[in-house]
Amino acid sequence: MRIPVRFELNGHAVEVEVAPDRTLLDLLRDTMGETGTKEGCREGECGACTVVVDGRAVNSCLFPAPEIDGTRVLTIEGLSCDHGRLSRVQQAFLDASGTQCGFCTPGMVMTAVAFLAENPAPMDTEIREALTGNLCRCTGYVQIVEAIQLAARRSRDPQA
Amino acid sequence: MTRSRHVGTERPRPDAADKLAGKAHYIHDIAVQGMLYGRIRFSDHAHARIARIDTSLAESVPGVRAVITGQTTPEIRFGLLRDNVALKKDRVRQFRDEVAAVAATSPEAAARAVELIEVEYEPLPAVFTPDEALAEGAALVHETDHAGRSRSSNLLPLSCRHLTGDIAAATAASRYIVEGTYTVPRIQQACMGTSGCLAEFSPEGNLTITAKTQIPFLAQRDFNRALEALGLTNRNSRVIVPAIGGAFGTGLDTHAYEFIAILLAWKTGRPVKIVYDRREEFSCLSPRQEARIRVCQGCDDRGRLTFRDVEVIQDNGAYTSWGATYPNVMLVTATSLYRVPAVRFDSRIVYTNNTYCQAMRGYGNPEVTWAIESNLDELAAAAGMDPIAMRLLNANEPGDLSPMGLKFDSCALRECLDAVATSLRTSSSPPAGQTRVRGTGMAGLINVGGGGKIYRSDGSGIILKLDDYGNVNVAYGGVEMGQGLHSALTIMVADALGVRPERVFINQTDTATCPWDVGTHASRGAFMAGNAAVLAATKLRERLFALAERVYADEVERNIARIGQSERIEAFDFRAARAADFDLRDGYLAPRQAPDEAWYRIELGRLLRAAHFAERDPAIFTEEAFYEPPTQLPDWERGYGNMSASYGFGAQGVEVEVDTETGEVRILRLVAVSDIGRVLNPATLKGQMYGGIAQGVGYALFEEVQTERGRILNPGFTDYKVASAADLDFPIELRFVETNDPHGPFGAKGAGELALAPTAPAIANAIYNAVGVRVRDLPITPEKVLRALSETSRR
Amino acid sequence: MRYSYHRPASLDEASDMAAALPNARFIQGGTDLMVRIGQGRERPGHLISLRRIGELTTIDANREIRIGAGATLSDTLAHPDIRRRLPALAQSLAALGSRQVRNMGTIGGNLCNASPAADTAPPLLVYDARVEIRNGRAIRCLPLAEFLLGPGKTALQAGEILVAIVVPDPPEGTGSAFIRRGRVTMDLAIASVAASVRLNGGASIAIRVAAGAVAPTPRRLTAAEAVATPTDDWSRAAIAAREQIEPITDLRASAEYRRHLTGILVRRALTMAAAASGQWSIDR
Repeated sequence: MRIPVRFELNGHAVEVEVAPDRTLLDLLRDTMGETGTKEGCREGECGACTVVVDGRAVNSCLFPAPEIDGTRVLTIEGLSCDHGRLSRVQQAFLDASGTQCGFCTPGMVMTAVAFLAENPAPMDTEIREALTGNLCRCTGYVQIVEAIQLAARRSRDPQA
Repeated sequence: MTRSRHVGTERPRPDAADKLAGKAHYIHDIAVQGMLYGRIRFSDHAHARIARIDTSLAESVPGVRAVITGQTTPEIRFGLLRDNVALKKDRVRQFRDEVAAVAATSPEAAARAVELIEVEYEPLPAVFTPDEALAEGAALVHETDHAGRSRSSNLLPLSCRHLTGDIAAATAASRYIVEGTYTVPRIQQACMGTSGCLAEFSPEGNLTITAKTQIPFLAQRDFNRALEALGLTNRNSRVIVPAIGGAFGTGLDTHAYEFIAILLAWKTGRPVKIVYDRREEFSCLSPRQEARIRVCQGCDDRGRLTFRDVEVIQDNGAYTSWGATYPNVMLVTATSLYRVPAVRFDSRIVYTNNTYCQAMRGYGNPEVTWAIESNLDELAAAAGMDPIAMRLLNANEPGDLSPMGLKFDSCALRECLDAVATSLRTSSSPPAGQTRVRGTGMAGLINVGGGGKIYRSDGSGIILKLDDYGNVNVAYGGVEMGQGLHSALTIMVADALGVRPERVFINQTDTATCPWDVGTHASRGAFMAGNAAVLAATKLRERLFALAERVYADEVERNIARIGQSERIEAFDFRAARAADFDLRDGYLAPRQAPDEAWYRIELGRLLRAAHFAERDPAIFTEEAFYEPPTQLPDWERGYGNMSASYGFGAQGVEVEVDTETGEVRILRLVAVSDIGRVLNPATLKGQMYGGIAQGVGYALFEEVQTERGRILNPGFTDYKVASAADLDFPIELRFVETNDPHGPFGAKGAGELALAPTAPAIANAIYNAVGVRVRDLPITPEKVLRALSETSRR
Repeated sequence: MRYSYHRPASLDEASDMAAALPNARFIQGGTDLMVRIGQGRERPGHLISLRRIGELTTIDANREIRIGAGATLSDTLAHPDIRRRLPALAQSLAALGSRQVRNMGTIGGNLCNASPAADTAPPLLVYDARVEIRNGRAIRCLPLAEFLLGPGKTALQAGEILVAIVVPDPPEGTGSAFIRRGRVTMDLAIASVAASVRLNGGASIAIRVAAGAVAPTPRRLTAAEAVATPTDDWSRAAIAAREQIEPITDLRASAEYRRHLTGILVRRALTMAAAASGQWSIDR
């Protein structure tokens, strides 16, 4: 049994068939070949697989692939602008040194993107609360919080 | 070397953009044509004889290409003491022992087949603590060593001890003496990217293995031995390092899964990838050692240290990795943190049927610093002294030669301690509620900062290859695993050579293209890479300037033809320019005496093309260098030898709030002041510090691999907790006392590990300062604090 | 393929599927079930998704507060009436999992999962919540306390669907609070306590206390309620609470510590609830 699904991935229409026991993470990485989204635990604890579905950050490792039908999905691959230029949040992570080994980074960035859409002028504590579902073993999170603040400032003032 | 234009400036990392775009390729993301998926069947017992393995059901699963066991494959022996084999033939000694493996066309088929392998065991008596293992009549984890000689005890044949002075006499002469036993748990490195490799053979039997390793060249040696075990003599292993999702010591050894991938790839003739899932990463990869450390220190009536006596016992688990040599690094702190006239150090490492352990960031130093800096606080309390004053009184000084023979050519421990003390003195707001009590504490540290010689060579090679356009391609055998090595290396190559960092490209680490390096550990990456880069760049500059003598005048004439004449040209007689007159800066060759005049500046690419296409003696420019630091491989029996070219120092202070009703500890702020020589890139250095401190907080307060008779109980992030952003919601103040180390590239010392060494004792000391109880057993859980509080109140 | 996946459009269709398919499980947010399937702890033959059934996701706060079992934890937390009228529930939702989990997980799922540590259960018990269960075409109602039967065990019969949680509007002047403790922020609770207090002058006229993670199910602590009074700083309530729980030792904490901690949390939750009585706010 394979289930046909139609959805929008990073602005492009996709029609594929998925096996019923696959997750969105499998669909993205194995079927679509988009490996920017990472598998860190498959238990919804680490957030490395975070993508944005209909505007909300979710753990793609727990998201049944058949449920993607009719949704809009944004992944790390969909953030970069024309010619592969980094988006505002990505650029802020680069400028504020918010990435080290980089494995948690795509998930971290996707959580930040969804969070900043809800809360464009957050306090540091709110950012930390928003990131509890994204574990990072390298950075101690300080420069990640700074990166998200930088992105927020730049969305208000592009010169920041 | 030229002056530093980029060293010391805050710069984005060269690897950041790919990682941020999701374009970095970790082992998880790599697939090749025809690739099979390997999966391992692990032991169900801590200690048992393998009576029978039946693989017939597994072999019948569609998609399965091979099922192998220790019985059906050649033995591949590995490990520091060569006491481990890739697939266990007749006996398992720990729960994670590899008893069989499968290669299949899909991960699902491999997983299903592995479940269908039937293994019958006959359980054997097992030992789970060093005390049990050393007891009379204890079951032997290994009855013979790798060469088949019989063993009579579970004690490892690794010795590391030290004695300076007369401990008995120093004890007798001490005014105050405090002894304590301090324990540390096994903890997980918990890299966000799990372990894995991809092994592929050429038809001739040469191996290419993409491996998550920190030691590509020592791994190459291990893999070549494996090829010999397969009967593939005179063949080679090429080790390629992909993007690494954190390593923290896990890549310091080769692993059974790598040898199993090799076996499966050899057997099937197809590329085989094995990637651990998170459960496997937790339960089948080696954690940091559990250890018990007894420390006794004494001081005179003024608080000067009189002696230090340290005894370490480590639970090795069932097999031996490089991690068993932790005591070699513990020696540094045990003998040399603060001035101590008499020191004794002894260590024992014991086989048990627990999971075997391996390296983790700091390599023994966080453990021993925890014990010594906790005990020092207790000594200060016994002496009625301010613990900060006691540390300052005993601080190491530049020029000191320590009891171990360590030579401190740069040392700012005193300045670091002072700065932390000053920061802690600033008052904070009063606690909220009567059940909450605040206190401050600190701890100092020393860490190797110029390599750490525990292998015959501690060196690093580098190749700088210039192309016709002025780009510098760097082949370096060390490993970027998130710490920022490529950032530091880029900046140092740029400054050492005189080009812009944008023109420096670091190649992927590959044993086929990069020169030898012992491995990326011991905070040595940037130090070694930088020194090697400076050596190579210096040679390159000499060659470039010699070349310039021949072609410079013609090139200037062309400049003049293009830009036009000016009388200022006469300021410098360019036709008579000699090699010694030149400088290379920002990718332009120019005379030192007129560096900014457009007529005299020749872009590097132009110079290189002139050399390349010259009619006479055409040349291209590649230069290599090998840097071996001026260090000694210590004599471990005596515990003596200057194992590092430089030493980093530092101190951390914390303010905590203890909830006396619940025992909870909240960190209110943390200050870390470090002497790591010159700062290369403040942005990445801060990242190393923040990240190390985060790991230190976890080690101090909640991280612990919990086991029950050898079985790991919390193999996942649900049950094993690492800090999230919300758990670290307190200000961290970072400061650097910039010494200029004479051995360091641009004066820099290694900085990768020192951040987490003093965090746990600083927190324990702050808790003591707040509520007067001392927890000597990590992690310091609320439960332990509460128990200590109730014991104190009962007394 | 381990299981097949079905997406009924209505409750009737879902019920019929459940009756027809062997070894079927309903799935809503999947944040618990997908983990258990991944770990091999659960091996269903069919998953019947309830996500397309719109009526499960509505939150109606006109009189009683009726929360569709399929409302995500995020939507429930964001609902202004829930934040205003059920602050202890809102506090428990804010503490429950990560944003990603709250965006997927549902309040019904949190209850059906029947974890002894289910965060939403103590406040819902304190608020006297009841559950609406659909059995074929029939509906039955149960007090929440009778729905939660043990670890992983609820009163749901095969094929039954939890459709809503109904919470009576707390009377004017009720204050409530929720506190939990884990080893770190993101952890299953070591202990959690919800309390509600309605005061009349200095005398309490209605007290509710419930605890999670310290017994086979989240439970009301009626003995603590009976002796609870602000005049002794809630000390007798704390002592009684410790007697009415059955904590176990696991890798998060010992039974002994859980018992001690529950007493402290009961006192603190009651203090917070009393301070909040007369106010309507999630803010402490």
